[in-house]
Amino acid sequence: MSPRESRDHDQGAGAVLLCGEVRTCLLPAHQALDVRAAAQLLRLRADERVLVSERPNLYARSPDALTGVDCPLPSASGAKVRAVGTVAARGALTEGRVLQTSARLSLTARGPDHRQPWGHYLVRPGLLEPFGRLPREAVAEGVLAGARRGELDVGLIADGLLTRLLRHPLLDQRPPFKSRPTRLRWTALTAGPGTDRPVIERLTLAEDELRTLALRVPSGADPAEVAALCEDLALHDWLLTTLVRLLDGSRLGSADGTAVVRALRPAVDHLLHLWMPRARLDPAFAALWDALEERPGFTRQWEALVRRIRDQLALHAIPALHQEAVMAP
Amino acid sequence: MTEAVFRETAAEPRTQAVPLAHLSLELGHLYMEDFEAGPERLRRHFAQVVHWAEAVRGSTAAATGKRPRISTCFLIDDYFTRFSTPRELVPQLLEEAERAGLSIDYLARESGCAVADGAQVAEAVAGRLVESPPPGAYGARPPAGQTGWLANGERSPVARTPQAMKKAIPWQAPRETAARQHSVFLDVELWSERPGGGKLWSCPFLAAVWQLARLGLLRHEGQAVLTPRPHEGPFPDDWDEMPPLLQLQERAAPFAAYRTCSVLPNRFMPVEHAVRVVLDQTEVDPGALQQVAARSAGEGAAVPASVADRISYVFYAGQ
Repeated sequence: MSPRESRDHDQGAGAVLLCGEVRTCLLPAHQALDVRAAAQLLRLRADERVLVSERPNLYARSPDALTGVDCPLPSASGAKVRAVGTVAARGALTEGRVLQTSARLSLTARGPDHRQPWGHYLVRPGLLEPFGRLPREAVAEGVLAGARRGELDVGLIADGLLTRLLRHPLLDQRPPFKSRPTRLRWTALTAGPGTDRPVIERLTLAEDELRTLALRVPSGADPAEVAALCEDLALHDWLLTTLVRLLDGSRLGSADGTAVVRALRPAVDHLLHLWMPRARLDPAFAALWDALEERPGFTRQWEALVRRIRDQLALHAIPALHQEAVMAP
Repeated sequence: MTEAVFRETAAEPRTQAVPLAHLSLELGHLYMEDFEAGPERLRRHFAQVVHWAEAVRGSTAAATGKRPRISTCFLIDDYFTRFSTPRELVPQLLEEAERAGLSIDYLARESGCAVADGAQVAEAVAGRLVESPPPGAYGARPPAGQTGWLANGERSPVARTPQAMKKAIPWQAPRETAARQHSVFLDVELWSERPGGGKLWSCPFLAAVWQLARLGLLRHEGQAVLTPRPHEGPFPDDWDEMPPLLQLQERAAPFAAYRTCSVLPNRFMPVEHAVRVVLDQTEVDPGALQQVAARSAGEGAAVPASVADRISYVFYAGQ
């Protein structure tokens, strides 16, 4: 997929703050979906194709669905800033197994102090205009801290799309193992001239299932590309979280070998082949992975976990040998 | 960084471009009651339209500063009621237009706005409705198009039977979101359920689809829909055998245009108000939108950003 072919109109023209939220969960279906079924699941609109890509892994993404909002923005300073526009949301399925929904929006530095005809906002999909000037730092902080009731809640929109997709008749609601969904909330302030590369300012594992990510991106960055980076991070963070949980629950070292194998088997069947950071990212954003590989070392942790699982399975695959060794004098 | 060497065509969205005129001028709609009223009704209609059409041509030429490309079209209802046959009706229609000095370039069937060449056109447009949020909407509202109704504001809350010991909630007024001081609230029925199942699209909704077709903004999976087909041979005996959009004049300007104008009797006013409400809340294909914006700007005839602002009307007094 060429990132430059992005169909989005929300090219961030005049946007000074981008933000969004990603939901990641295991697809509740016994069998992973194939390409055709994935395209069927993600067909949010009758007239728009689902993007399907088979290299380097199987990936399908829905067209954007818009939701209109007109409400105050969350803000750390308590400033009440009303904004009007649309939030873009899309769903994606990786290897027919991991389902994600992602909602995003861009905010302009300033806007008219009264509401425009709705058509004005509709031709700027994914863009919100504040009434007056946007206190961007305060709003960025407010978004990461979470919206209060009545304030713009991007997560609700990602949730709404996820609920809609999870109800699809293609899904038999029989996931192959237990797992928990995760949320990643992100903001990206645009940097002034002279900054040509995006940077990760802060990645926080906030609560159990919530991660927050603060980015700084060059002005004019494509919000769809920034969202793609966040979706990629959220996917791999979910994989790590889920694998750690599987290992936690497998009672390694206990005498019952079959129990361990039974606990670890879903990892081998459904997860181990999914690790593929930066598979479809714009090169500028893909480079951000380097920092994460350095610290905390996502891939390092993943490889260690995978080795552990393989060692365990190898160990339990040779019970006879194991028994003999114990019985020898 | 180098450009991608590896590409997957299925992973890249494409939008087909369509030829565009400056103006699509609609010379009328024909419903069964018009047909039943006899050829005099059509004659009177075209006798009125010819003057307004001339004025519209003049104003378009003044706005573009050159000889504008203008195509004319006419819509026949074969969706709500079936009457007559193309073989009988179309020559009559063309004759009356010609008598008034008008030439119809393109002839469309209303059912083509519901389904055209296998594409579910109306269903696709319904899927693109993005409701205008009333103040206070923060993302918790269900998506548009579940009820079959679309409003230009907030409806009155439903009055419930008061429970014992509780005060009845007094009536609250509906509110137009874009109101200036006072509201003109409109709630449009987009479709109803057919007795045998399936949707019966409403006249205003199909008229909104018709406007989008004339503005060159309809696509199905990136491909243009409701594209004109040339007229050959005699007109068929069955409406279904006639293409949804027929090109009658070989040298006509393109069917789709930057702007539209419709000359209609004023009984169409409520329908066309509803059309504006629908268009104002329809997110059209961004690729198509961009193509029209770029081409019109390149010609020095830039279109208004908002789709609903690209359409205009002349309502004349009469039936």
